[in-house]
Amino acid sequence: MTLDLFKLVLQLTVILAVCRIAGTLFRKIGQPRVVGEMFAGILLGPSLLGWIAPNISAYLFPPASLGFLNALSQVGVVIFMFMVGLGINPRELKHQSHAAVLVSHVSITAPFVLASLLALYLYPRLSDDSVSFTNFALFMGAAMSITAFPVLARILNERDMMQTRLGTVAIACAAVDDVTGWCILAYIVVLIRATHETTSIWITLAGISLFALFMIYGVRFLLRGLERTFHKYGEISENRMAFLILLALGSALCTEKLGIHLLFGSFLMGAIMPKEPKFVRYILDRLETITITLLLPLFFAFTGLRTNIASLKGPAMWLYCALIILVATGGKLGGSTIAGRLSGMRLREAAGLGTLMNTRGLMELVILNIGLDIKVISPALFSMMVLMALFTTFMTTPLLAWLCPDRILQPELAKIPAQEATLPPPMMEPTGGSAA
Amino acid sequence: MSINRNFVLAYVMLVALPIVGLLGVLKSGRKLAAPISVDGLWRLQADPAKLASLPCGKALAESPDATLAISQSGKNFTLSLANGPRANASGVLEGTALNASIAPSIDWAAQANCGAGRELTLIATVDATANPRSLAGTLSANNCPSCAPVEFHALRQNPPTRRVSH
Repeated sequence: MTLDLFKLVLQLTVILAVCRIAGTLFRKIGQPRVVGEMFAGILLGPSLLGWIAPNISAYLFPPASLGFLNALSQVGVVIFMFMVGLGINPRELKHQSHAAVLVSHVSITAPFVLASLLALYLYPRLSDDSVSFTNFALFMGAAMSITAFPVLARILNERDMMQTRLGTVAIACAAVDDVTGWCILAYIVVLIRATHETTSIWITLAGISLFALFMIYGVRFLLRGLERTFHKYGEISENRMAFLILLALGSALCTEKLGIHLLFGSFLMGAIMPKEPKFVRYILDRLETITITLLLPLFFAFTGLRTNIASLKGPAMWLYCALIILVATGGKLGGSTIAGRLSGMRLREAAGLGTLMNTRGLMELVILNIGLDIKVISPALFSMMVLMALFTTFMTTPLLAWLCPDRILQPELAKIPAQEATLPPPMMEPTGGSAA
Repeated sequence: MSINRNFVLAYVMLVALPIVGLLGVLKSGRKLAAPISVDGLWRLQADPAKLASLPCGKALAESPDATLAISQSGKNFTLSLANGPRANASGVLEGTALNASIAPSIDWAAQANCGAGRELTLIATVDATANPRSLAGTLSANNCPSCAPVEFHALRQNPPTRRVSH
């Protein structure tokens, strides 16, 4: 595989242009930019460009060139996962109310159980005997129970809902969901990789546990010094910033070597970082621009190139797709709504919470790409799940506006002290940025 | 954090019981059988002279290291020739029997001068007991009674590669 630099730069140019245009158009209809960028990725793939102009598609994205595009996009996702981990604050999880505890746990178990029930139907139809039912069902469960923490934070911030009860419960639940979802996914990846490798699964698990302990009790101590430096000088030198990125990449390499995946390491590194809001904001500001405007669109395009809606041939395949969307929405939105209502929320508020929890965005695409890589899902199922991610993310903003209009939130917002309301939310994007 | 009775009840009903149900689903699902796996790269072996005698077969015969790339989704699969001419090909797997139709691309049809709309049919049986798995079958031209089907054999390359592109 030789590097055709002209082709790579051409690909970058086309992808960035299409993603920017689609993102801007979707912003105009009140959608987060990320939905437009996800959509742009599908437009550039075999579902549209490859279908209406196969020769242009073959010229722009020859299969031999996709390795480089994938490598660049994966670097972006590694940094993005570090940012997601950075945005998650364990203190928010410690002080959860009963409502948040119940909703967060139900918003995992309900879609998980429904997805595993759906797996009973889909496994003989969309999988093959190289994948065990247990791995297939667990993966479906993990993929359906994930919530796009960054998109959720962005939507809450745009609607000034960060400090409302709905906002704080939603953020805490999304954080729990993501951490749990990634732990389950890590377990599945270990299980699947263990069947192909000679190393015992127990050695792998022991290695991962030791590494996590080293990060939590060793590296985290080191990072506190970085936070102190920031407080002293109001900034971090380029050398220290480079050191931080090196730590994130090193952590990613360790988890990959330990038999899980690069992304778990960068996520863990972000999660153990000090969580003082100004410090978090400072680090995010330095990483967001290039990651969100340049590297993540490549990931959307790469995902779109792997998504082939034409592979859903016949009414049966579309029925499976509809069932996936129904189960994903029913489990996440329905489960969270019921739990919210039982916790004492008003129906509209509980349904608003369910709607927020049903946002999947880029996090879903990251999980699906891992699933396709480790072959636990088939290409057609991957395409269906991508459509589900797009659908559930797209429906969030209009449904939330309908369920929780400003007139309902205003009385609660009026009670928030001004100082508290100005705290920077996690993963707040720069102006015009993309909440992924 | 005071824990009231309603919360415990709701937690048991909505979290604990579903987890027990999940274990039951995982146990019952183990009895399910999925279609056999044919996904991956298969090294194709056929007599080049016989392949060349098929309409559109010349391009195949000129690719001595032709590799069949199968992308499987349950019983359905698409296939392409990794080192050969471009084609739109899809098929169905029934038990161990593969049945696929291959429509040569416009470039392939023009190059081989075999006319647009010509299709090839691939019928094969998978030997699931062999390691690596093997395929044996025939490749024939549709609407060509005088063309004899060409026998082929294919061996799956181990370990199966990751799916990295469309």
